[in-house]
Amino acid sequence: MLDAQVRQIAEDAGASAVAVAVRDLETGEAATVDGDRPFHAASTMKVAVLAALLAAVADERHHLDDRLHVRNRFRSAADGSPFRVAQDRDANAAVFAKRGRTMPLGTLAEHMIQTSSNLATNLLVDLLGVEAIREATARWGGAGVEVVRGVEDEAAYEAGIVNTATAYGLVGLFVGLEEGAGLPDEVRQFGLDVLFGQEFASGIPAGVPGEVREGSRFAHKTGSISTVQHDAGLVYLPDRRPYAVAILTEWEADATNGRRETVASLSRAVYDHVTHG
Amino acid sequence: MDRLHHGLDLRLVDGLDLSEDLRRTHRPGETVRGEDGRDHDLPRFFYEVPSWEAAIATPLAPHVSLYELLSIDVREAAAARAWPRYVPCAAVLLASALEVLRQSVGERVLIAANGGYRSPAHAVDPRDGTFSPHHWGTAADLYRVGDTWLEDEASIARYRDVVLDVLPGAFVRPYGPGDGETDDHLHLDFGYAVSVPHGA
Repeated sequence: MLDAQVRQIAEDAGASAVAVAVRDLETGEAATVDGDRPFHAASTMKVAVLAALLAAVADERHHLDDRLHVRNRFRSAADGSPFRVAQDRDANAAVFAKRGRTMPLGTLAEHMIQTSSNLATNLLVDLLGVEAIREATARWGGAGVEVVRGVEDEAAYEAGIVNTATAYGLVGLFVGLEEGAGLPDEVRQFGLDVLFGQEFASGIPAGVPGEVREGSRFAHKTGSISTVQHDAGLVYLPDRRPYAVAILTEWEADATNGRRETVASLSRAVYDHVTHG
Repeated sequence: MDRLHHGLDLRLVDGLDLSEDLRRTHRPGETVRGEDGRDHDLPRFFYEVPSWEAAIATPLAPHVSLYELLSIDVREAAAARAWPRYVPCAAVLLASALEVLRQSVGERVLIAANGGYRSPAHAVDPRDGTFSPHHWGTAADLYRVGDTWLEDEASIARYRDVVLDVLPGAFVRPYGPGDGETDDHLHLDFGYAVSVPHGA
């Protein structure tokens, strides 16, 4: 039923590819449509970076109030050449305004997730390291989410070095967070609170009927580049345990209309599946 | 040692008297290889800074305060992030030079985080066996002058010329992306100078 709905929505919208995975923590039921297909992760990779930060805090390697130099200069994963995050392509001006100074790690995490700041993301990737991000991803049960570099690394993109994610892997990450992932309660709660503060609500939340949405909470992360539009997270409907869902969509670069609506439609299909079977 | 009568309300300390953890971090008086490939003695004498508030309240020059040389991040060794903190005595001389620069440009000269004093254990530094003048307290990374961000060749070259003009003897890294160059700040330093104040 879900499979047929997802494929119909994808076909109607003209998407090149769509994948959906859902796991209901209330019933234990899971469903997936092409859940193992890798997509360009876009900004969904930031959930893995958050996982690594929380793991570092849990292990007392770092503290959320530790401060980090805000410096817009990074080295490419491809050849070590320096590059910068383009200010006009980053939705977040607050982190750019702090160039030269420092910001707390926890604040950078909030900017990375809630407004999808690429500068905050690369600062955290630089500090934590790709290996720690991979370890945390595995620890959380996010097999299928492959982070190999930061964002806006054009030289790496040209060299085919790309962060990828499967719907199944992203669901695993969010289930890991909900179930604790070995984190102290306060660290886990910080991570959830950061995700609850997500400012982009056109995807998963928009697919939940309005009357239900009012009493629901969403801990999620969107992601988009010229060819993909994603959303993944935890949906806390009233009076029940949450369900974890990942919706990944791929498009021709010039097909820019209707992407967000498609993700919302897929979210509605998942909501119906979870609540009505 | 007692506070000195030199207008600076900070305790002067011999680095050799610091705790083992702090000695391991600051390596007072140790001979190390500089970026120039030659051996130099790290600073032995430091001013003790009891708190961030004290650093803010301590002017080293009319327009340069101590805190500006002490902004570091999580990459600094834990012992050098805890209070009290220790800054090489030569930082006072650097501040005097920065004051000259500030007077010349007529605007605020902003030093980047990790761009003033860094302990020899700071993780931002390359582990190639050489040590930068930042560990002597004689270097500053300027990221902004007034409203001008020093992150392109034109702005860095412009203020490099100013520094070389008003601070003869200062070393300024050239613009560029490679080792020994800068492309998002202006690095100036006075080499591997150590200061041994009266009373040390």
